[in-house]
Amino acid sequence: MGVLDTIREVLGFSAEHDATRPWDADDLFQLSAASVTMEADLDYDPLAVGGLCFGSVSSTDFTSALRDVEGVLRGPGFAEIRTDDHGYTWAVCERPTFEDVLAELYVAADTLDERGYGDRLLAAVFPFEAHGGRQDGRDAGQVVYWVYSFRRGSFYPFAPSSSGEKSRDSTTEVKLQSVLGDELDVEDDTSYWYPLWPDEPGNHPWE
Amino acid sequence: MNWPSDWGLRIRMFVTMFLLFGLYLVFAVFLASYFGGGIWMMVVLMGGFSIAQYFFSDRLTLWSMGAKKVSPEEYPELHGMVGRLSQQADLPTPTVAVVDSAMPNAFATGRSKNHAAVCVTTGIMNTLTQDELEGVIAHELAHIKNRDMAVMTAASLLSTIAFVIVRWGWLFGGGRNGRGGNQAPIYIAILASLVVWIVSFLLIRLLSRYREYAADRGGAIITGKPSALASALLKISGRMDKVPEQDLREQAEMNAFFIVPVSKGWLANLFRTHPSTERRVERLREMERELETY
Repeated sequence: MGVLDTIREVLGFSAEHDATRPWDADDLFQLSAASVTMEADLDYDPLAVGGLCFGSVSSTDFTSALRDVEGVLRGPGFAEIRTDDHGYTWAVCERPTFEDVLAELYVAADTLDERGYGDRLLAAVFPFEAHGGRQDGRDAGQVVYWVYSFRRGSFYPFAPSSSGEKSRDSTTEVKLQSVLGDELDVEDDTSYWYPLWPDEPGNHPWE
Repeated sequence: MNWPSDWGLRIRMFVTMFLLFGLYLVFAVFLASYFGGGIWMMVVLMGGFSIAQYFFSDRLTLWSMGAKKVSPEEYPELHGMVGRLSQQADLPTPTVAVVDSAMPNAFATGRSKNHAAVCVTTGIMNTLTQDELEGVIAHELAHIKNRDMAVMTAASLLSTIAFVIVRWGWLFGGGRNGRGGNQAPIYIAILASLVVWIVSFLLIRLLSRYREYAADRGGAIITGKPSALASALLKISGRMDKVPEQDLREQAEMNAFFIVPVSKGWLANLFRTHPSTERRVERLREMERELETY
């Protein structure tokens, strides 16, 4: 809490200031090293797919920026721009390797940023799937997510419980936080670990 | 998005707060130099009340409105919406509550971002589209973000005390433990308090209207859709008139927290806690124009 924050609050523009705070593009690539640790130490395979979630703006210029993003994603492999039930837009892409997905979504985020819509970016979401045959009681195939929060400039884990209900597996989340804490800027304040529920249980958040 | 800052609003808000603070300073010095005893007890008591009210504001307001805290299982859509908007606004997810009332309205309360609550009525959820409801909730989140509860509590503190002196000051007399001839008769304190109360009341209302404009801006920037909030305001204000009379009476006290206050017939603009819907919509339309011409 700095003096500037207080001044912003007193003059009533803290909300608009923080909602438009810029993000640091290099943060995203921390996941590159983290994915190796996820695989080697925790037996989670990165899925070669990821999603970028952003809010839309009611302007013509934004629609054209969206077409730019679509153009950028038109590489090898599956990619699409879709809108979820909450009215948010997702840029989803599937590539041969995790690194490619990371690079691709970075370019998509950067494209939006260059068009002046960097502050619309909400989160980048990367799924990891658990190997089978482990002793610690977790289900094979459980999918956990590392979510990059553009407003906070930090990562947080999101592990939907495998029961299909909208509940979180907080044990797994805390474990992910403690193991990956050195490689990723993990958000310390768990009240900022916003869930991103899929429209249908069991799917990825963007499905 | 690169939104041009509204410096006019910030300056007006600053000047209002400056005047209010100056008025309070003079009032406090006046009370301190001429009165003792009873009045001070009252000042401490009222100050204590206000601070307690501020600290428990989230629970108190929800309780007095008959709002029920709801879980993500009960209202998954609402929780999802509040969660994503909080993420955009860089706020921890606040408590989400619902009032079972046909009147379309929403309010935010709580002393800080970690003790905040957002409440909507069932009426507003039925009335507004998803985009419009997002605009309204983002407006409330902007209130939390701008710490309006703290600002308005601080702004009203001495005004409340002045009011109590006007109302109950005669009970205390001139103060028996006076310091020699320094003691002024109590009616002077009452008179001065009356002036302070009236002037501060107008300034507080003015400040409240500026805070609403600021929250409208914040809300529009959080969602990126000024026009959705504008159409929500128009929809809500259009429906406000169709509400039964006893609801109006019960809810009049809570107007300060509402997104669009219930108006009981004609009210002078000077006394409004919220700017008129037309003016708010006009400002949001300006923002929408900025979007398209950006």
